[in-house]
Amino acid sequence: MDNRVVEFIHGLRAAGVRVSVAESQDALRAMSVLGVYNKTLFRESLRATLVKEVDDFAAFNELFPLYFGSGGPPLQNAMEDMTPDEQDMLKAALSALSGRWQQLLDWLTSGEGPTKEELEEMARRAGAQWAQNPQEAKWITRRMLRQLGFSQLEELMQQLMAQLQAMGMSQEAINKLMGVVEANRDALAEQIAQQVGRQVGEQLAEQRERRPEGLYGPDLMHKPFEALSEEEANLLRKEVQRLVAQLRSRAALRRKRGADGKFDAKSTIRANQRYAGIPFELRFKKQKLKPSLVLICDVSNSMRAAVEFMLRLVYELQDQISRARSFAFYGDLTEITVAMDTSRVEQAIENARDAIPGGPWRTDLGNSLETFFKKHLDAVDGRTTVIILGDGRNSWNSPRADLVQDLQRRAKRLIWLNPEPPRQWGTGDSDMLLYEPFCDRVFPARNLAQLSAAIDKLLTNN
Amino acid sequence: MFTDINDVLQRFSQQRYIATEEIATVIYLAQSLGKPVLAEGPAGVGKTELAKVWAKALGRPLIRLQCYEGLDESKALYEWEYAKQMLYTQLLRDSIGEIVGAASSLADAARRLSQEEDVFFSENFLLPRPLLTALTAPEPVVLLIDEIDRADVEFEAFLLEVLSDFQVSIPELGTINAVHEPMVLLTSNNTRELSEALKRRCLFLYVNYPGLSTEVEIVRLKVPDLRPELAQQAVEIVQQLRNLDLRKIPSISETLDWARALVTLNAGSIDAAVLRNTITVLLKYEADVAKARRMMGDGGRARPEY
Repeated sequence: MDNRVVEFIHGLRAAGVRVSVAESQDALRAMSVLGVYNKTLFRESLRATLVKEVDDFAAFNELFPLYFGSGGPPLQNAMEDMTPDEQDMLKAALSALSGRWQQLLDWLTSGEGPTKEELEEMARRAGAQWAQNPQEAKWITRRMLRQLGFSQLEELMQQLMAQLQAMGMSQEAINKLMGVVEANRDALAEQIAQQVGRQVGEQLAEQRERRPEGLYGPDLMHKPFEALSEEEANLLRKEVQRLVAQLRSRAALRRKRGADGKFDAKSTIRANQRYAGIPFELRFKKQKLKPSLVLICDVSNSMRAAVEFMLRLVYELQDQISRARSFAFYGDLTEITVAMDTSRVEQAIENARDAIPGGPWRTDLGNSLETFFKKHLDAVDGRTTVIILGDGRNSWNSPRADLVQDLQRRAKRLIWLNPEPPRQWGTGDSDMLLYEPFCDRVFPARNLAQLSAAIDKLLTNN
Repeated sequence: MFTDINDVLQRFSQQRYIATEEIATVIYLAQSLGKPVLAEGPAGVGKTELAKVWAKALGRPLIRLQCYEGLDESKALYEWEYAKQMLYTQLLRDSIGEIVGAASSLADAARRLSQEEDVFFSENFLLPRPLLTALTAPEPVVLLIDEIDRADVEFEAFLLEVLSDFQVSIPELGTINAVHEPMVLLTSNNTRELSEALKRRCLFLYVNYPGLSTEVEIVRLKVPDLRPELAQQAVEIVQQLRNLDLRKIPSISETLDWARALVTLNAGSIDAAVLRNTITVLLKYEADVAKARRMMGDGGRARPEY
């Protein structure tokens, strides 16, 4: 049983759930306390010890039955209750039907299913070893069932029934036989599904271990967003978590040190009243160092990846920011703060794109800024840092640099994050050179490393 | 101590808390493995209540540490009682004079005094805060660390020692070990991601909004004056509201408030008028109220029968 649990943990890891060695130990200890006889308790004890993230519950729920399923109900032997005559008849009928699907019929009638090795071999033939993600298990199962002849089964059963009738078996016996065979069919399908699921899980776990280290390395941080493959982007999304932890502790430390700012006489006198006014405890004015942000993001195709990572970083860092409102623009601008509350950033960006009023699907910052001034100017005051994330390519629309200037005047500061290298600014439809004079800072944001460096500066040099 | 999971369920229900089997399992495991529980879930589903009930069911005192931004060791763990220390130095001036009096030089006096300084940094002058109280309590306690997600990340790191070894290090005194290992419950509303290290040390419990029948049961238990069919109807409406895209989803405590409001208003049934007058008990934002009214008006299932 311990082995099974360990295999299960491997499977969880393959599905992307983080399980530490300490947690595996907890799971085994929990198992020894609660036993394994009550399956729901067992399941809950495993979940409480292994999965610490609500988002990972789905993976757990999917994998658990594959590893701790009953293995499917056992197959029954159809011949058991039969008279010797009937048994002979069945055997004769089966051999008369002998063809490609003989094997399947044997399994279904004899109650002796395939051995573990046979199942493994069949799963391999169905392509289990090529699986790239756990979702493929279902597809492989279907393929395996088809290879075994499940799709022809209905027809075969009809033939078998006709054969038996012709041989003179009683209708009652035939019905009973069919019942058993049907139950066996479901049981076998269940067994196969579990086997495939497990095999795919193990396969993925192995693949993960073999994956070259370089893929996780720092290079990915420096790879431009637009050059990321889907897999690399996924890896990077996970990396964001670690990055955020770093940024957070740096920011928190600086904030703490920054906190001993000005001496606060009033509070010190109050605090030291109980020591007869002798100043034992000194009090300092806490400086409000958490920035309040307004993000204006270009969500056109060229900017998607950069925006996604930006929003990811900002929303992971919510506790270091006193207030953040986000706006997305394309042809026009819309607020996406509320939409961002969901945990799925990709989905939120998708929603944002849907929320943007129709019209020409061409980037138009000028028009978008006008909308911002009309509807959302309350978001900006003297304490706000405005961040515009965009490439400044306006599809030849009016740039309205005057609005950017006005924005800078109203805000504490205006920062522009541009994923394009400076030598491309001003080429083609880029209006970046027009905007640049009105920005307090322009940071390059071509890859995650640059993006996080920019955010680090934001959080600390306030 | 609980003897098994059914015992947990039974004693919790004696305390008028309806625990799911999942909650009972995790509580029992926490006791048998001696690990803290991290309860996560939306606000108002009874996470804090769980700790209170846990303490009551075991007949143990509950010690609560409410987390907030800027919470630090001196507020969570211990503080030196400066005032008491000062008072003692004043009162003991004579005896100090005796010790120092015989000294031949300033250096000698300082040396003599330093031999006695342990007196002033002893447990007599230690002002224990919730964590230290929980560890040094003469009887076993239940420790509730509420809304850990509000505390800073450094505080989370500081908690690790307490949670994994049930001990704390005080520079002047050394390491203090727990007299009895407390049962620990941490709650989080998930406003930010907690650190891996903290999660690793805890058993994880996700408390979600209860299903229809459980919530009806809770309402019947807590507001027994509400007629059963009315309770059923009220809970159905709340559960439907939860499916809407609201800014603040009504929690169990709001359901209970509403149920009490219905009792107070002596409502015979939940019709449009009653709903209009009382919906603000459930929903706290104007936009949400408007949305809910639209839903009711659409002839959805929640349309009251009248």
